[in-house]
Amino acid sequence: MGTVVSIELADDQPPEQLRGMVVEVCDWLHEVDRRFSTYKAESEVSRLQRGEITLAECSPDMRHVLDVCADLWRDTDGYFDAYAGGSLDPSGYVKGWSVEVASARLAAAGSARHYINAGGDIRMRGGNPDGEPWRVGIRHPWEADKVSWVLAVTEGAVATSGTYERGHHVINPRTGKPAHGLRSVTVVGPDLSVADAYATAALAMGEAGISWLAKQAADGYQSAVVTDDGRAFSSADLPAAV
Amino acid sequence: MRRSTAAAVGTLTGAALIIGVRLSVTPAAAPVAEAPPPVDVADNSSPSTAPAKGGASAPAKKKEAAKSGLKDGNIQGKKIQYPYGAIQVTLKIESGSIIDVAATYPLAGDSATINPRAIPALKQEVLKAQSDKIAAVSGATYTSAAYLKSLQSALDAAKA
Repeated sequence: MGTVVSIELADDQPPEQLRGMVVEVCDWLHEVDRRFSTYKAESEVSRLQRGEITLAECSPDMRHVLDVCADLWRDTDGYFDAYAGGSLDPSGYVKGWSVEVASARLAAAGSARHYINAGGDIRMRGGNPDGEPWRVGIRHPWEADKVSWVLAVTEGAVATSGTYERGHHVINPRTGKPAHGLRSVTVVGPDLSVADAYATAALAMGEAGISWLAKQAADGYQSAVVTDDGRAFSSADLPAAV
Repeated sequence: MRRSTAAAVGTLTGAALIIGVRLSVTPAAAPVAEAPPPVDVADNSSPSTAPAKGGASAPAKKKEAAKSGLKDGNIQGKKIQYPYGAIQVTLKIESGSIIDVAATYPLAGDSATINPRAIPALKQEVLKAQSDKIAAVSGATYTSAAYLKSLQSALDAAKA
């Protein structure tokens, strides 16, 4: 399982400095991969899984990750479940969190305007090179080279989960079976890790996820959903650009 | 204005880092210019036929000058059923010529089968296929192989 990260810095700074910032982001993401990958036998997650270390011996980052996973499990009525596959796999939170941290570090290093796109989940900050909101396309769930919505986002996150690429891979933790009903779920909000977790949870819920997502709008998380049979739904306040 | 674009390719199985990836993917050229007026499927008033004023039913594949006789404005063609829903083509006419063609991918499902009580606070709308100028693409792009085929990779290639 691989993921690809695209980084765009829109700051008016010397190229060497920008390059340095990109290298630091890449270093951080690789560090996260080493520590939190369930595919690496020596990662902290794998060692915790095997019981070689206790929670008390874990890094503060790991304890933070597990705490938030527990919160998200509660917030999503159990549909975001780091144990859905049987053993601990916090990847669904770690990806968004690591990008949030990376974006915050970029900001601290002097980048006021950038985006980081990790496998289709994006954190934006400060607008595009022209000082306008970033225009973010949401991939059309059947037409890979088209987008079904275009959003204008200056600050915040856009996360999409869908079945069009890996099939029905998201497990409904209530039934233990693959979830059906929704083909693509996009959540837009302030924090990428939360947006990502909500998108995954809604996908696991199936059509009931549409009603559940509608309730999250009050907390600043807007959504856009396409069902397996092609119906489309979006929040009233989705920041649609067109 | 200086900009720096980079892509890092990492995997959960083994990490590889590439900065400034160049990919031989050309940005998707897109014919869509203006989104046609959405068909409100939810209210079920015009479930399958559009106001086909000009009677344009053949999806024109490319721009072409029309013989006169076409009224200015947008003309919607018939919906064509595909396994996942219906496609509807809209022609934009100006001065009697077709100046643009846009396709929507409306919806699918029979509106008749939708139980209004099942439709919650999210508003139901027509799924459109757009190709606007965008900076980034959000999607379920889990693998490197999928990335290579994605619009995001085309954007990265264009900027690298």
